[in-house]
Amino acid sequence: MSLLSRLGRGHLDDTEMARLWTSGDGHPHLETCAACRGRYTQFESWLNGIGDELRAEAEEAFPADRLLTQQAQIARRLELLERPARVIAFPKAARAVISGHSNVRRWVTVAAAASLIAGFGLGQVVPLRNAVQQQAAAVIKPQPHLTTSEATKRAIELTPEPATPQDDELLSDAFRSRVTSLNALDELTPHARAAGK
Amino acid sequence: MAGPSPALVASREADAAAASAVKALQSNGQLEVARERYAELVARHQRRAARIAYHYLRDGAEADEAVQDAFVKAYQHLASFREELPFDVWFTRILINGCLDRIKARTRRERWLLPMTGKVGGRGTAVQAAEAGSTERDVTERVAAGGLSPEQTLLGRERRREIAAALSKLPERQRSVFVLSHVEGRTSREVSALTGLNESTVRVHLFRAIRKLRTLLAPANSDTAAGASGELKGKRRVTS
Repeated sequence: MSLLSRLGRGHLDDTEMARLWTSGDGHPHLETCAACRGRYTQFESWLNGIGDELRAEAEEAFPADRLLTQQAQIARRLELLERPARVIAFPKAARAVISGHSNVRRWVTVAAAASLIAGFGLGQVVPLRNAVQQQAAAVIKPQPHLTTSEATKRAIELTPEPATPQDDELLSDAFRSRVTSLNALDELTPHARAAGK
Repeated sequence: MAGPSPALVASREADAAAASAVKALQSNGQLEVARERYAELVARHQRRAARIAYHYLRDGAEADEAVQDAFVKAYQHLASFREELPFDVWFTRILINGCLDRIKARTRRERWLLPMTGKVGGRGTAVQAAEAGSTERDVTERVAAGGLSPEQTLLGRERRREIAAALSKLPERQRSVFVLSHVEGRTSREVSALTGLNESTVRVHLFRAIRKLRTLLAPANSDTAAGASGELKGKRRVTS
C-alpha cells in the first residue's frame, strides 16, 4: 500500500510520517503537497497531544504536597542510613536488642559505679555506726558490774517466796469480791481446798 | 544535532557541582551537611523522576517507593558517580533499573495471585483498582476546584486511560524509549546512555513505538488531531 501509493500519487502514509518525525529529516513531497503537509501537521499534533496527556497524568498523580512528603521521607531514610541497625528481638524477649555501642547502657554503668563510690566515701566520712551504737546505748543502760556478795543478795531478793494458804484465801477473797456474778456458780461447785480438808 | 539548551547546560553544571560537593562531604565524614546538600539534588530531580517512575509502573504508590529507593541508592553510591556523565542521566538509569526490577517482581507476584476483580485487559488488578480509585477522587476534586466540567474531565480521563492502555501494550524497550524521548524530551544520545542501546536502535524503537501507537489509537486519531491542531509545537525531540 505504502509503496504503491508512493509510486502512484506520492502521498505519505502514517509509517512514512512516523519515520520522518523520528529522524527529523525533511521530505520534498511535504513542500509540494498541501494535503500531506496538513496530515503531517495533524500527525505531529496527535503525537504532541499524547505526550501532553501522559505528562499531565503523571503531574496529577504527584501533586506538590505529595512531592514534599516524598522529599521528607527521602531525608529521613538518608538519616537512618547513618545510624546503627536496630535489631528487633524475637517476641519472646520483649525488649529490643540494640546492636553496637549503646550510650544508654554506658551511662547506666557509670552512674551505678559513681553512686557506689559516693556511698562508700560518705560511709567513711559520716560515723553512722557510732551514732547508731550511741543511740542504742542511751536506750538500754548497761548494768554495772556486781560483786559476788551483791549478786547473791540480789538473787535472794528476787527469789519468790513459797505461796501460803493465806495468800490463796486473800486471792480467793479478792476474786470473789470482784466477780460477784459468779458467786452462785461458785457455791454449786465443790472447792478443792475443802475437798482436801 | 542541536546542542542542549543553555538552561540545561547550567542545570547540569549545578548538578555536577552539588554531586561533587556531596561526595567530598561524605568522604570527610560531614554527613549532615552532605545530606543537606543532597536535598538540593533531590528537589531538582524529584518531579521528573516521579513522572518517569509513574510511566513505568502506572501506580502512584509504587512509583513513590521507586523514586525514594533510587535517591537513597544514588546517595549511597555517589562515590562511584563519574563527573563526565550528567548526574540526571546517571540517576535516571538507577531509577529505570529499579522500576524494571519492580515490574519483574510484580509479574512474578501476579503469576501466583488470583485476580481480585474482573478481567481487565491483562493489566495488574491492583493497579487497575488504584487507578479507578484515583479517577473517582480526581473527578470530584476537579469539579470542586471549579476547573473543567465533569463531562470534560471524564472524557479526558477516558482518553488518558486509552493512551495508557495502548502504551502498556508496547514492548518494554519501545515503551521506555518513547517515554524518555517523547514524554521526557531526551535526545537520542541521552536515551542511548540511559537504556544502554545504540542511538540508531533508539530511533528504530521510537519509530516502531509511534507506528504501533498510531495503530492502537486509530479510532480516536481524527478527533484528537482536529482538536489539537492549534497546539502544534513542531518539535522533534529525537535528533541525530
